[in-house]
Amino acid sequence: MAILEIENLYAYYGMAESLHGVSLSLEEGQIVGVIGPNGAGKSTLLDSIMGLVKTKGSIRLAGREITGLQPAELVHGGIGYAPERAHLFPYMSVRDNLLVGAYTARNDIEKNLELVHNLFPVLRERWAQETATQSGGERQMVSLGRALMTSPKLLLVDEPTIGLAPKICVGIAEALVKLNRETGLTILIAEQNVSFAMQLASHIHVLESGSVAVDGPVDKLRADPELAKAYFGT
Amino acid sequence: MTRVITLRQAALWLIFALVMLALPQFVSNGTMRIMIFANFLAIFAMSWDFLSGKTGYVSFGHPFLVGIGAYTTAILSYRFGVPIAVSIPLAVLATLVGGTLFFLPALRIKGTYFALVTLAFMELMYQLIQVIRPDLTGGTRGMSGIKTLVSGAAPNYYLSFGLMFVIALALWMLSRTRLGTSLDAISMNEEAVSGSGLNTTRLKLVAFMVSASVAGLGGAFYVHYLGSIAPRALFDINFVFTIIVSALIGGSATIIGPMAGAFFMTFLLEYLRPILPGSERYFVYGLIALVLYVYQPKGIFAIVDDLRNGKLRLPGRAANGDAA
Repeated sequence: MAILEIENLYAYYGMAESLHGVSLSLEEGQIVGVIGPNGAGKSTLLDSIMGLVKTKGSIRLAGREITGLQPAELVHGGIGYAPERAHLFPYMSVRDNLLVGAYTARNDIEKNLELVHNLFPVLRERWAQETATQSGGERQMVSLGRALMTSPKLLLVDEPTIGLAPKICVGIAEALVKLNRETGLTILIAEQNVSFAMQLASHIHVLESGSVAVDGPVDKLRADPELAKAYFGT
Repeated sequence: MTRVITLRQAALWLIFALVMLALPQFVSNGTMRIMIFANFLAIFAMSWDFLSGKTGYVSFGHPFLVGIGAYTTAILSYRFGVPIAVSIPLAVLATLVGGTLFFLPALRIKGTYFALVTLAFMELMYQLIQVIRPDLTGGTRGMSGIKTLVSGAAPNYYLSFGLMFVIALALWMLSRTRLGTSLDAISMNEEAVSGSGLNTTRLKLVAFMVSASVAGLGGAFYVHYLGSIAPRALFDINFVFTIIVSALIGGSATIIGPMAGAFFMTFLLEYLRPILPGSERYFVYGLIALVLYVYQPKGIFAIVDDLRNGKLRLPGRAANGDAA
């Protein structure tokens, strides 16, 4: 069953329309990538799902219409969000950052902390460090961890590789794959880093100026020489 | 999970209370009068801190809340002969209504604009109180001869300290709960808090209500200590700054910091009085605040913390500001 279905979604910043009828759907347990250049609407798409942007159209979570709900209600409903550039609480410890995420899933705190620490062992060691003093990669881990603390059924990840060294990107990718395999978590990733997204996702949607230009399974997209040249630089 | 209070912390609070309660045996009545003011300033500074220090919504109109509490109980007890035991709770209730008024703009605006709107609230109150029903409020001249709760320096000291202590302990414990952590988080990144599934509107409302009720409670006891009330004594920009600077010098978002800051400020201003009788004193505290912010923007509280950990670093600061 599709866990997330978006149909004909329009998003607005004031008068400006920045998504023009986007449709996509995610099956449970999938990793799906949304790629595209700056300003294509990737973050807007994720913000729309989270109810942070004014939208028109339909967004359904496990069959339930969720357009117009408050972010807090969506998190309750099972969407975890790791926003672009982490958006951590800089003068709080790693542990406190994670615990803020645990607000809606108080009974799972122990279990979720264990999950996060297994994915990112460095966070177990550095639990008392203020995130302002951490490296970009570690901050990204805290951000993903904070989203996981909400016990999500669907994880939205916005540009997890932004500003990170390739080696660290590999670590993040491995963690996301491991997460998907071991817990069956459905993940929607917005990325500019095409090879990163292709490496993880089974399906890709290419956004261009607010519309889906191409979409399909990764293997198929990779096989099409025209597309590969235009979008994937290979 | 951190516990709300550890045994060691409870012991420290107890020692603090015992020392302060023993103080009247050792100091003069004059000093005690200063300490009474310090106690009240500490209450106002902690109230400000719970709203502004924690959530980052900087209020420049805190005297508005203090004033509602003070005027409500003053009018009820002085004009209508309502017993103080009834008028003070009513004053706190009235302040909660005021807190809601404060809260409404915070739903839409923050930063400088919020500060200005709250400042406008205070100024508006100053003007209104003089023209609307001066037969009740006493107009420009205010009221005097308001009933006091106790008389004499020592009893008033015990009363004000008791009130301050209970409020400080309650706020401090509250800020160590999950609620306190989320409020801290709001000041750092409100979007990320709502992205984590917390209802920021409800959290802010709680912070505003707690802050308002503390301000109202403080204001009500304050007026029953002074025995008089006048618009300019309350709704005054200097009063705003004294509250804010106390909280900031002490260390905002820590509750204990603003309490320490209030004592520091009150005594500093008093001891400077013989040397600098005029308002030049305010220049001195501006200077102290400036020096402190350059070396340790988190205030006295953080300096003490650094000293205890043996890692006091003066020049510059290590934490980078652009973390997000």
